[in-house]
Amino acid sequence: MEHAPPAKADLTPGERLYLREAIRGMAVIARHFWINLFGRRDPNPEVMDRKGPGVNLVTTINYPEERKAYPPGYRGMHRLVPRVDGKPRCVACYMCATACPAQCIYIEASEYDAEAIEKYPIRFEIDELRCIVCGFCVEACPKDAIRMDTGTHAPAVLSRPLAVFDKEALLRGPAVEHPSDVMTYRVPLKTVPPPPEGHGGGGKGH
Amino acid sequence: MDRTPAARLASKDLGNFAPPAEPYAPWLFKIVAGWAAFLLALVVVAGVLLLLVRGLAGLFGDAPGQLGGLGESIGNIVALVLIFVMVTATLLTMAERKWSALMQDRVGPNRARLPLPGLSDRPLKGIPHIAADVLKMLFKEDFIPAGALHERLLFTLAPLIAFAPALCLFAVVPVGPELVLFGKRMQLMVARVDWGILYVFALASVAPFGTALAGWSSKNKLALLGGLRASAQLVSYEVTLGLTLAGAMITFGTVRLDAMAVEQAGEVFSILPAWGALYQPLGLLLFLVAAMAEIKRAPFDAPEGESEIIGYFLEYSGLKSGLFLIAEFAEVVVVSGIVTAIFLGGYHIPWIEPWLLRHIGTEWTAVLQVTAFMLKTLLVIWVQFLIRWSFPRFRYDQIMRLGWKMMLPLSLANVVVSAGVFLWAGKQGLAAVGVVEWIAILAFVALTARKPEEPAPAAAHH
Repeated sequence: MEHAPPAKADLTPGERLYLREAIRGMAVIARHFWINLFGRRDPNPEVMDRKGPGVNLVTTINYPEERKAYPPGYRGMHRLVPRVDGKPRCVACYMCATACPAQCIYIEASEYDAEAIEKYPIRFEIDELRCIVCGFCVEACPKDAIRMDTGTHAPAVLSRPLAVFDKEALLRGPAVEHPSDVMTYRVPLKTVPPPPEGHGGGGKGH
Repeated sequence: MDRTPAARLASKDLGNFAPPAEPYAPWLFKIVAGWAAFLLALVVVAGVLLLLVRGLAGLFGDAPGQLGGLGESIGNIVALVLIFVMVTATLLTMAERKWSALMQDRVGPNRARLPLPGLSDRPLKGIPHIAADVLKMLFKEDFIPAGALHERLLFTLAPLIAFAPALCLFAVVPVGPELVLFGKRMQLMVARVDWGILYVFALASVAPFGTALAGWSSKNKLALLGGLRASAQLVSYEVTLGLTLAGAMITFGTVRLDAMAVEQAGEVFSILPAWGALYQPLGLLLFLVAAMAEIKRAPFDAPEGESEIIGYFLEYSGLKSGLFLIAEFAEVVVVSGIVTAIFLGGYHIPWIEPWLLRHIGTEWTAVLQVTAFMLKTLLVIWVQFLIRWSFPRFRYDQIMRLGWKMMLPLSLANVVVSAGVFLWAGKQGLAAVGVVEWIAILAFVALTARKPEEPAPAAAHH
């Protein structure tokens, strides 16, 4: 009996009359109406307690003019992680393409002439329409060369070919260097400045 | 906003993109100025309506001393029905969405923009959405389902029958006082007839024909269900609708709305405005509820019931569907106008009216009075929307029980008590009873509610 919903008998006669509770409910709605009518919206999405002079209770974010950042662990658009010299860390081992359940990764390997690392991709394409955002490619990569930490989702496109992102579009974001890298690179890599921002295919949205 | 996601990523900045809130003082100034401008616009509209009627009366050469000439009538139809009711109803289509948003802590529709320089990035309070909706309805295919082809005439007639009474009802509502403007007697009221309220009841009972016809001629089971529900509901509540106003008729001794409005000038007990709401508190509440049921507004929208049956207008598209929708809002305006005229003092401004008449003259007072009428109407419209967004839809059996077993006896009791008090103590007695009723209702609502449960105190000591 403890879990039974409150029976009708639990209501006082005044509550069963409905009129008073109805008017009190309307008072709540009216209070929200006037606060929101005469208050201005605080666009900061992090505010938990919307109080103060002239601040209304609206929590809407006017996407896409305003955006709330995705949480840090958000599994977003892929990127090919660059080395400090600006080339992709990818060694074209095909492990991500093999792991991909949607088969959305296409790689063509080529060879460096003079480097200790022999292979690199001359084509690395991801069809973001086929991608199911499972993250298996990131798990499979032995060289930490593909990540989904861009904090953006795949952008809307107007035709299917535009959703296929090539190596140049995917190669972006901060360069990554691991201590173990020195064992594979015989000579220290020459650090180059990162490419100018915003030329990547993704993340623009509008 | 100027940083791309990649740039934010590079600097490990996972913060938000929100612009800062507006500073308080300029925003407050903007709000106050905006509302002042709105009031001023209402005054201007009132003046324009009066001038329009006067102008048309002059154009048609009406006799100066005679009320209700041809030009004045045409002017009133244009000013009140075509401009006041229709423009308000059109704006209400957006107000419904915007106000509901405000009541639910949302922003509301703001994506439609006018492609004009300087306006293309401003939502303009959602007003462009009205134009977008109208254009959409104009260009939609006017589809008639195969089953309805045999009843093409009735199918087409139904929206018109539903829409026409909504417009005609406003004919007997007095928006302004009788006055002499530029040497011509006139009044902002379409028809000055002896059977004022009876006309309202008569036309209100035409509306069910529209919904019933729509439901039947669509040859659709759900639409038919909606039409049946509408017929049953409207017929049931017509009884209550008539009885709730019987008290007001007893109080004012007339069925003419303009005569009722005249009666509501001045004060009772030299402090309270002599409004119908004072004499008939129960009548006001019951009439408002019955009228909302009669115009099928939520929570009485079982005939529409968009989440269960789509409603009697299920098979309609384009402008025919739009007629049903706009008819609902026109009815909201009309009901608000009637409530204002009978219960909220009509066009009268409480307390300061004699002072206004002495100091700024009849004409300017009339402008302010028409403004007051519009403001009161707006208030009642707002209350209707508040009710509409506060309650979930009543079940069909609940609607019937409320109508027949609660509101009908209550309104009968109201009639009996009002008549008895009126015979015994006249209008003063009714006013005294009304004050007592208001105090009782307010005290009941404010004082007897159960306190919100306080968190249980730590029971360590016992």
